[in-house]
Amino acid sequence: MASLGDEGPLVGRTGTLADVQSYLRDVGPGGTAAVFVTGESGVGKSRLLRETTAAMRTHGFAVLFGTCLDIGDASPLHPVLQALRRREDSGPATPADDAGALLERVSRDLRAIAGDQRLLLVLDDLQWADRSTRQLLLYLLAGLGDVRVSVLAAIRAEALHGTHPLRRVLAELRRLRSVRVVDLAPLSQEQTHELVGAIVGGTVASEDADRVYKRSGGNPFIAEELARDLRDGRIELSDTLREIFLSRVDELPPNAHTVVHAIAAGVEPIHHSVLARVVPLPEDQLIEAIRAAVTHRFVASDGDGYKLRHRLVAEVLEQEVLPAEAASLHRRYAEALEAFEGEPDNARLAHHWQRAGEPDRALAPVVAAAHAAERMYGFAEAHRYWTIALHLSAETDPRRTDLLGNAAESAHHCGENLLALARLEELAGRPDAPGRSDLHLRRARYLAAAGRSATAEIEYQRALEAPDCTPRRRASAAAYLAELLLHLGRYADANQHAREALELAAVNGATTDLVRASAALGFSAAFREDPDAGLAVIRHAVEIAERSGHPDDLGVAYLHLAELLTGPLNSIEEGILVARRGAERLADRGAGRTYQTRLLAIAAKGLFRIGQWTEAYTVIETAMSNRPSGADAVELLLGRLQLLVNFGEFANARRDLDGVATLLAGGGARHVLPMLTLRAGLAIWQGEHADARAAVQRAVTETRSDDLVLLGVLAWHGLRAEAYAHAAGHPADPGAMRRLRSVMDRLVKGTVDAPPAVRAVVDGYLDLCTAEISRVEDRHDPEPWARAAAIWDRRQQPYPAAYSRLRHAEAALHRRVRRTAAIKGLRAAYETATAMGARPLADEIIAVAQRYRVTLGEDAQSLPAGPERAADELSTLTGREREVLAAVAEGLTNREIGELLFISERTVGVHLGHIFDKLQVRSRVQASRVYLTAA
Amino acid sequence: MTQPTWGPVQQEMSDILQRHPDDVPGVVDQLTRLQEVLCRIPPLLHGNPLADFNKLYLTITENVLDRLYAGKFKDPAFLARLDVEFAARYFDALRYWTEASPACPGVWAGLFTRIPGPDARPLPSAVAGVNAHINFDLPFALVTTFDHLGSDPVDGSDQHHDYLQVNDIFAEEIPGLRRGYLDRWQLLIDTMNGDLDDWWQGEMVEYTRNVAWRNAQRIWALRHDMAALDKERRRLDNTATGLGKLLLSPFGGFLQ
Repeated sequence: MASLGDEGPLVGRTGTLADVQSYLRDVGPGGTAAVFVTGESGVGKSRLLRETTAAMRTHGFAVLFGTCLDIGDASPLHPVLQALRRREDSGPATPADDAGALLERVSRDLRAIAGDQRLLLVLDDLQWADRSTRQLLLYLLAGLGDVRVSVLAAIRAEALHGTHPLRRVLAELRRLRSVRVVDLAPLSQEQTHELVGAIVGGTVASEDADRVYKRSGGNPFIAEELARDLRDGRIELSDTLREIFLSRVDELPPNAHTVVHAIAAGVEPIHHSVLARVVPLPEDQLIEAIRAAVTHRFVASDGDGYKLRHRLVAEVLEQEVLPAEAASLHRRYAEALEAFEGEPDNARLAHHWQRAGEPDRALAPVVAAAHAAERMYGFAEAHRYWTIALHLSAETDPRRTDLLGNAAESAHHCGENLLALARLEELAGRPDAPGRSDLHLRRARYLAAAGRSATAEIEYQRALEAPDCTPRRRASAAAYLAELLLHLGRYADANQHAREALELAAVNGATTDLVRASAALGFSAAFREDPDAGLAVIRHAVEIAERSGHPDDLGVAYLHLAELLTGPLNSIEEGILVARRGAERLADRGAGRTYQTRLLAIAAKGLFRIGQWTEAYTVIETAMSNRPSGADAVELLLGRLQLLVNFGEFANARRDLDGVATLLAGGGARHVLPMLTLRAGLAIWQGEHADARAAVQRAVTETRSDDLVLLGVLAWHGLRAEAYAHAAGHPADPGAMRRLRSVMDRLVKGTVDAPPAVRAVVDGYLDLCTAEISRVEDRHDPEPWARAAAIWDRRQQPYPAAYSRLRHAEAALHRRVRRTAAIKGLRAAYETATAMGARPLADEIIAVAQRYRVTLGEDAQSLPAGPERAADELSTLTGREREVLAAVAEGLTNREIGELLFISERTVGVHLGHIFDKLQVRSRVQASRVYLTAA
Repeated sequence: MTQPTWGPVQQEMSDILQRHPDDVPGVVDQLTRLQEVLCRIPPLLHGNPLADFNKLYLTITENVLDRLYAGKFKDPAFLARLDVEFAARYFDALRYWTEASPACPGVWAGLFTRIPGPDARPLPSAVAGVNAHINFDLPFALVTTFDHLGSDPVDGSDQHHDYLQVNDIFAEEIPGLRRGYLDRWQLLIDTMNGDLDDWWQGEMVEYTRNVAWRNAQRIWALRHDMAALDKERRRLDNTATGLGKLLLSPFGGFLQ
């Protein structure tokens, strides 16, 4: 039987084919590559995919081929799961813990198929891919799946004109070196002539070939069919694709005619057993009819079943079928699918019943498909099914109340809060609507998620005042309200509602509400400058969560405590300890992967700030082994990127930068700013001044006025980039300088109303900015740098402090003032930089030292790294814990240790607790003994 | 399909359009390069209707960029994305036209065919471009931006507020640009009915921009339905094409 391989000659694509293959092999720093082929229908995208696939197979690629469906409501990850099923004969659709776990499981299957080969994942008709498939693609391309994969996908250009989500995805991916967008243009006049000549064979009158070119517009599919008409002696060339095929349909034998129309109505590929039920012919006649359809070049057949030679043909045929005929075909498809054993393909079944004009019979498979999608965390797909279900059910249908509730919730889950609210309104109007308090509470949640805080607040109040509000629901509403008020910065109101919620929840509420209320109370107290009271409340919440043992409660409670400590309380070390403890607790239970990841991200961020970079890196690697996805993955990659940039590992930094950019192509505006700042940081160290400037300038156009800290870091990077450019002999850009100065003005104005913790950090960055300006202006003024070093010392952040000391020394040495102090500062900076592993900064310090003939100290070059010195017994301790233990062994009290290490007495206590745990000792004396023996 | 009309600058246009700017400074840069090249297309040179539009668009985008730098928008990430996505559609139309692709929207093709003449008055020419860009491109750009940022087009939101601020920029720029176009006898007419004209221009942009916001809200609701979306696209293209024809007809001259 003829297959898709039986095709006309491939003309005018030799160069493109070679390019695509080399792009697919040319992987980026993350070990992945992608080629997206766009072009109009019939231009030869699928053909290019097939030819490339065949070539890549012979180059040692494992190939997986999937096609997206145009039924608009395919199940989540359809094309990839379909491709996997083809390879394995078994569906991998076992439930996963969360969306991330699902992505990881699919990746594992892909890794298994690839073995030690590279994997080529080919996806045709990507414009019809569901949201989950798009997310999987980005996840794989960002390297998160740990699959060495190259992706080749075809997209219909027509689909990209409107508002297709792939538009923005492609726009963002285009800038990566590992991603290419190949626009397949129609054939030129000469190429069309060549194609016509090859099909007709022998000589073709040039006016005939010209006519083919003119009528086909160089579209190879149409040109090929016109050339066949020419060859077969059809006198007048048809003007449209429609005429070409309609005249051919007329030539088909009647049974073949039926087969072609049946296939056109189906969802391809159509298995023989299904077709046999849809076309009621005896087996031998059916096969004869299919054979005729294949010979007449309408139908193609491969391992999976039958399909039309081209979707364009299906589109022509669809218009020729009478509505009643179409309905009857769809009915037979639906019946055929239902007749098979096992769980039917609900998506297809629903599709056919709908088009058969049987909404009632479509409803059950639609609802089943919605539940199945929810099980696979495909909230967008589930939402589409619920929407279809609503269309299928009449006003009077008693099932509609339930459907509306589900539709609203699913819309809320995938971020369609407007729609969620509209569904809720309809639900509220039903005679059997849920109670008022329930409706108010849900409306409030949707409004809050849509960012409409004022109306959300009113709805929460209404829920609280509703007569049918149970104490349990009151607790819930009050806790949510407190959380909302906290975000709005209304700490006094938040405090009051959190108290109320806590009282209610303590009597008969859910632990979740208790934890939420405690967190709101704790933060509001802390912001109202009663940090101890706030801390006590959240600690209590942790205890409650520990007792309940539910991973979500535990995760949320630890998260709040760690955030409170590292954030407003600036008790970074204790925050790190809490975050790591929480992550361990959850890991012990083997649950709450997402919370583990988030807690470790907080710990890593804290460790970066206090200069313990090696430790931070280890923590991030641990978190990455949880295989996070989505925003959590972005957070971690950004954290690792920050470390790599400052470690001076530029190639790896570039890998993570591309990874972040890939994930952000799917959305995530709040991470764009940190990414651009780090892009600038990397470019500065690599001497790419224009790139650094461009990244900063773009980021400046995207900062909100309330991103004060981010804006501070950005302004510093911008001015630093100008200062480095200036130092390298390239003039600073006056426009950029002017804009960065106005950013500084914004910062000064912004800090007036900011909480003290935020103000302190922003002031530190403003000092750095002022100092960089003096550098750009060639003032060689040590004073601003001395101020900056002092403020960062006070914040206990060694990196910016060391950087400021370097610049201070440089300016002082240049002016030949207070040389001794300058040298001392330079040496201190060098020590800090090497201890942290800040290679680029250390290199710069060395360069400055050489320029001014300063020795950095005899042992400067051979400064041993701290952690390696410890003996085995102490290897379980963190760097900080060893420092505390050393002080204990010297006989210092907790207060003295705190003063020595610039940490609170309380934090010393927490460290000691951990040291005792790890060394399995009970007293300071025992601990000291272990330390002294090991040292 | 009419052949591309870039004439001697065909290659330069094609080269510029290879670039896909992904931030607002990049868009300003691209429009600046286009302006330089468009002004060299014979026979009308800088007087061709597309150069008129491009110049207006460049001025407006520079103004948007200044406001972004000055922190004047409530949600700059939204506005920056919208600006890039909006401009991408103009660049796409130019690219399709350069490649003689049938995918070029009718409303843009209408303006592009008029590049060699007959001469149209600068103001209606610029407004014809504004028509294509706002009545046709803008609603789709809005929907794509909201979709990407994961938020809804809600009246009275920060994004809506920022969106309306762009109306002020149009209102600021159009009368100013307008005076730049006028020669002496037109100035006379202008002093006679200037206010009325300014009012008319301001209204036109504000009115169509509001229509675009409403259209975006409508498209938002059906954005997952490819067939319905396609229909809506054709409808908007047809409406805008009709209006564009009117603006470039002799009647358009009355505006000036």
